[in-house]
Amino acid sequence: MGVVTFIAKRIALYFAVLFIGLSITFALPRFMPVNPIDGYIGELQSRASATIAPEGLAELRKSLEELYGLQGSVFEQYLAYMKRVVIDFDFGPSYTYFPHPVSSMLAEALPWTMGLLMTATVIAWCLGNTVGLVAGYFYKKRAASILEFVGILLYPIPYYILAISVLMIFAYIFPIFPLSATFPVGALTLDKAGTILFNSLLPGLALVLAGFGWNILSMKALAIATSEEPYVTFARLKGTTHRTRMIRYVFRNALLPQVTALALSLGVIFNGALLTEIIFSYPGIGLIMRQAASGGDYNVLYGAITVSIIAVATAGLLIDLAYPLLDPRIRHK
Amino acid sequence: MIELNDIVVSYRTERGSINAVDGVNLEIPDGCIVGIAGESGCGKSTLMRAIYGDILSPMSLSSGTIEYGFNDRNGEPVTSENVRNEWFRTLSYIPQSSMNSMNPVIRIREQFIDFPGTDPNKKRVLEQVREYIGKLGLPVEALDSFPHQLSGGMRQRMMIALATFFQPNLIIADEPTTALDVVVQKEILLLLMELQEQMGNTILIVSHDMGVHYQVTHKMLIMYAAKAAEYGDSDSVFDEPLHPYTKMLIGSLPTIGEDRARHGIPGSPPSLWGDLQGCRFAERCPLATGLCRSQEPPLVEHKPGHFAACHFAGADLPDTGGAGWQ
Repeated sequence: MGVVTFIAKRIALYFAVLFIGLSITFALPRFMPVNPIDGYIGELQSRASATIAPEGLAELRKSLEELYGLQGSVFEQYLAYMKRVVIDFDFGPSYTYFPHPVSSMLAEALPWTMGLLMTATVIAWCLGNTVGLVAGYFYKKRAASILEFVGILLYPIPYYILAISVLMIFAYIFPIFPLSATFPVGALTLDKAGTILFNSLLPGLALVLAGFGWNILSMKALAIATSEEPYVTFARLKGTTHRTRMIRYVFRNALLPQVTALALSLGVIFNGALLTEIIFSYPGIGLIMRQAASGGDYNVLYGAITVSIIAVATAGLLIDLAYPLLDPRIRHK
Repeated sequence: MIELNDIVVSYRTERGSINAVDGVNLEIPDGCIVGIAGESGCGKSTLMRAIYGDILSPMSLSSGTIEYGFNDRNGEPVTSENVRNEWFRTLSYIPQSSMNSMNPVIRIREQFIDFPGTDPNKKRVLEQVREYIGKLGLPVEALDSFPHQLSGGMRQRMMIALATFFQPNLIIADEPTTALDVVVQKEILLLLMELQEQMGNTILIVSHDMGVHYQVTHKMLIMYAAKAAEYGDSDSVFDEPLHPYTKMLIGSLPTIGEDRARHGIPGSPPSLWGDLQGCRFAERCPLATGLCRSQEPPLVEHKPGHFAACHFAGADLPDTGGAGWQ
């Protein structure tokens, strides 16, 4: 019963977080002094050298308000917004690509971003933790400090420098990959999948290199601390093998904070998406967000922010639900 | 019989090498419980580690040999060279803090089968473990628990079950009851004694608690400043201690029904760094003479089976009434 109550409570909390997040997303742009419709009409007026009649303008304003959900009081707008977002996942049309709906733009871009960034994050996590575990478990051996050096070397490099360096080295100096990759769209064929995979290797490499240094350093520190625990010493005195101790004793215990870190970094992959997709011209949410930000495409921005709120909240929910499976000391009460 | 032949265990430090166990000779007959006592830093834990074969840098066995008197699986005699391969096969270890000596994230039954052991079929081993736990009168369900779900006493019982399951020839227990309350302490000691009686193996127990030694041990080794001060049958050591240090140690124990003030031993042990000459206890000994300060007393047999390292072994202490002690 305890478990059911816990899960129910946790999921209720999840929806509460989403609700608050959506409300803030609604409220924030409305605090801005500019009105997008005024802006649009102003732009139209200047283009038409103020030749549009006031009646026409009023009509235009009305239909734009209707289109963008800006009718009525703020509260009415809020209700309409929540209804649209929650029930239909509808953010209205994109301003830039009118009348293309935001939700379908996001739906097209999402698999690209998720596919690249989740894979890269998970690979970086697995590699970084393996290297960090070995470096930490054998920290008294000199060879282990070479492994740690990889982490120390990679970690402080800013991501944009790392990404551009990777691009320079593997696309310009050694032209293995295209400098500006193209990603075929439309129905997926085996041939296209191959091209996509090949062209994704470079952004993937940059993301893995950027993520993996931190994982090495963090896991190494955790593994050193854990290998000094009395249960590891006692396991050694039981005659267990290094392999057993490293995996079942040190790794299993050092894993918990790292899982939290993984879930959190999966939640914020959209941050990473922005730079990666710009530098490697990769057709994901990041690229859409950048275009939307520079083009004042509010609906697209709302949509992207909402997706990212959902991602962070979902990642948090998943760690909380998975934690008791990893650490038996955590029990639902 | 386990024989320690003049063993010296040293630690290498930045200041140089220090001998934490400095020439200990001992014969431990099979099938007895030997208690090792002495104050902190006297070398008792180092001696235990050396006997268990847990010799890791900066610690080293600089001289002397240890013969265990039993054979490994291939029929070869166990020596300090190959003793590490015998861990949890022919000798085992009960750690001090059962609280932290079990992996918190895996079930206890897993911790019974993750060492090499003698039988590669882990399923069969687990069956035997269940049977053994039942035979000891411990709840078999405890095996399926995680360590934090058990009480401190139950955890330590599980530890003892773990250390005795494969019937080792030698068990080393480093302060096995220190973290437990006295009632649980007694039950744990009784369990250990009962198992020892059934299996007839040798147990070495390190403890600060002379009460534990009095209840449990057959033989006692008193260590002082990296050396053996006195060694003999427990009855003899407790009833007629020969070494002034042992006398003062036992004299400081409270007994029921006597309300005499108890006295500690004034002073503190010598630093092992210095150039140690003569008897190491001389500075604190009421009987010390010039001889004691210049010549080191060897550990000799004063009564059958009762050894002491003192020039005046057995002499009465002057009744100081604790004058030197405040």
